[in-house]
Amino acid sequence: MNRSSTGLMFILPAIAVLLMLIAYPIVYTVYLSLIDAHGALTGKNYANVLKPYVTRQAFGNLLYYVGGSIVFQVLFGTLAAILLNQKFWGRSAVRSITLIPWVVPGIVAATTWAWMFHTEFGIINYMLTGAHIIPGPVGWLTNKDTVMPVLIAINVWKLFPFVAIMVLAGLQAIPADLYEAAKVDGANFWEEVWYITLPLVRPVLVAVTLLLLIWGLNAITLIYAITQGGPANLSLITPIQIYQLAFTSFQFNEAAALSVLFFIVAAIVVAVYVKVIPSNTAVAR
Amino acid sequence: MKLKALAGGLAVSTLILLPSLAVAGDVVWWTPNWSQARAQKLADDFHKANPDINIKLQITTSNGLPQQVMTALQSGSGPDIIEVQHGWVQGYAQNDLVQPLDDTIQEKDDYNKAVIAEDTYDGKLYAIPYRIECTALLYNLDDYTKAGLDPANPPQTWDDWVAASKKMTAGGVYGMAITGGGEFGNTITRALPLIWMNGGDIISADGKTATINKPEAVAAIKFYTDFYAQKLSPDSTLQNDGVANRQLFIAGKVASYLTGQYDIAPIAQAAPTLKVGAFMTPHPAGKTTAGILNGWSYVIPKDAQNPTDAKKFLQFLNTSDNMGYFTDTFPARVSSLKLPRFQDPLLKPFAGMLPFGRPTPNTPHWVQISQAMFNGIQRILSGQQDPQAAMDQANDEIQALLDS
Repeated sequence: MNRSSTGLMFILPAIAVLLMLIAYPIVYTVYLSLIDAHGALTGKNYANVLKPYVTRQAFGNLLYYVGGSIVFQVLFGTLAAILLNQKFWGRSAVRSITLIPWVVPGIVAATTWAWMFHTEFGIINYMLTGAHIIPGPVGWLTNKDTVMPVLIAINVWKLFPFVAIMVLAGLQAIPADLYEAAKVDGANFWEEVWYITLPLVRPVLVAVTLLLLIWGLNAITLIYAITQGGPANLSLITPIQIYQLAFTSFQFNEAAALSVLFFIVAAIVVAVYVKVIPSNTAVAR
Repeated sequence: MKLKALAGGLAVSTLILLPSLAVAGDVVWWTPNWSQARAQKLADDFHKANPDINIKLQITTSNGLPQQVMTALQSGSGPDIIEVQHGWVQGYAQNDLVQPLDDTIQEKDDYNKAVIAEDTYDGKLYAIPYRIECTALLYNLDDYTKAGLDPANPPQTWDDWVAASKKMTAGGVYGMAITGGGEFGNTITRALPLIWMNGGDIISADGKTATINKPEAVAAIKFYTDFYAQKLSPDSTLQNDGVANRQLFIAGKVASYLTGQYDIAPIAQAAPTLKVGAFMTPHPAGKTTAGILNGWSYVIPKDAQNPTDAKKFLQFLNTSDNMGYFTDTFPARVSSLKLPRFQDPLLKPFAGMLPFGRPTPNTPHWVQISQAMFNGIQRILSGQQDPQAAMDQANDEIQALLDS
């Protein structure tokens, strides 16, 4: 037995586990998507999931939700990180408190927000009508103009602390003499942020945005617990549509077909991101 | 001495263990947790009269029950008797998973006709129904009389219903709450009967054509959603399911809503001073009312170990008295309705709905079809579409499901 085949023997258990847990489900999903309920090969599942308007609507909602969330998560996260990097009294306490939204379990946060935004019993309508800011209760989670922005706001609240902590770690790695040199050259605070801080934390921002993108494409907890995709599919996103097809309607083959399509789209998005963005940062550096 | 005690212990424990194995003379019965105590009593009574037959209860819960039953039926290792919802029976019968029970049912003419039809496939009866229920209109008696209405003279027609709801809508109280949120079944149970009353349906009788954008159906959906459009139903309608409406009713924010009699006990418990009345669901002038007939039936799986004794036990369960004792809501037998427990005046309108009860359509796509109808209703309530446009879209979606 030569060296390399001995090495192969050592990684065999790990490969076997990976095949069982990752490759098998993927292959089986593809197989499921290609058969009908009686096991015969068919392309009908793909036609059936592609045809209805709801599939396009759900995907559009998903892009809106993920895109909107990421922009504000990164923006607020970075601002919070810059703030938390300043020296002020009680800084570690504020840093800990900022983490709370991220630490709260998703389902707990979702249910709490759902109640706070409830039209009849919600504290948000109660405070806004009580202060005469709005004339009557607003159906935050049922109005077609507010439901997605509200869900994005909740998602931003939930995840911006994660961005803040990651960026903060990046900020602390920046050597202090760079700032001192900038000060000597007469740079003000915003110039320091723009010419030193942001370029140097850019790799962190890229990694975090990629993570947020992957998480966002999979995210089901918040929306499922708050609106289940309603009203009338206004907040339906593709992962929830797949879940409903499979486990509410028991159309496993169609759900598999949609999963395969979604997997391809997600894989392309992630591949493009991984390939394009880091090379840009290398140039920027 | 020690050895003897050990042997004695072994003998005793063997005796105790024996009945837990399914042996001849055992009937394994899957029964839901909400009627466990009554099920136990009936099983004990039967065992007293038939000492050679043991009834073994296995308690089920509603969460995930359809999947459990399906698994048990397909694996062939299921129990002898299972309680299932009427709507599931057709699927079992079509796939030859349960036994015909024409030789088991007694006095078939005494049963509610609609539910017998729902349990019949290809001319044979595949389940014996025991529990049936329909929705009716529950209202706050004080709000009703305060609005100058007479409880002895309930609203009969849709026009009366709207007029009464308008009168009761005052001082922060909403006259008539509809559902527009939560799980879609809540809204289908309340809105589909209105389509039926008006002479329409969601799909054609042969199950091939979607019919929800026909004028009768659209008019009924418009009537339903107008309660919200005219502000007779709360602002939170799009978030409210049956339970939310009950909470609003208990809180005094809602004067009436459509529900089943199962809401009466929770209301009495939460608000003992609240005076409650009930009406049969009003209908369009010159037509009759309707409701979805929900409830439970017994089936005997194809591969049951002990079908003979199971059938004997079913005949015991389905005597008029025992059925009336066991059901959580109403019995499927007309004669059982004479029992004292069903004579509460509050229950009368709910019982009155039973002859007008109809089963939901039998189609493999029912869940998605209901979802399409529910989404259409939500589009109307959220102001995205008018009733005709919403039902046109729902019709297209349903037709695509029926064609697929």
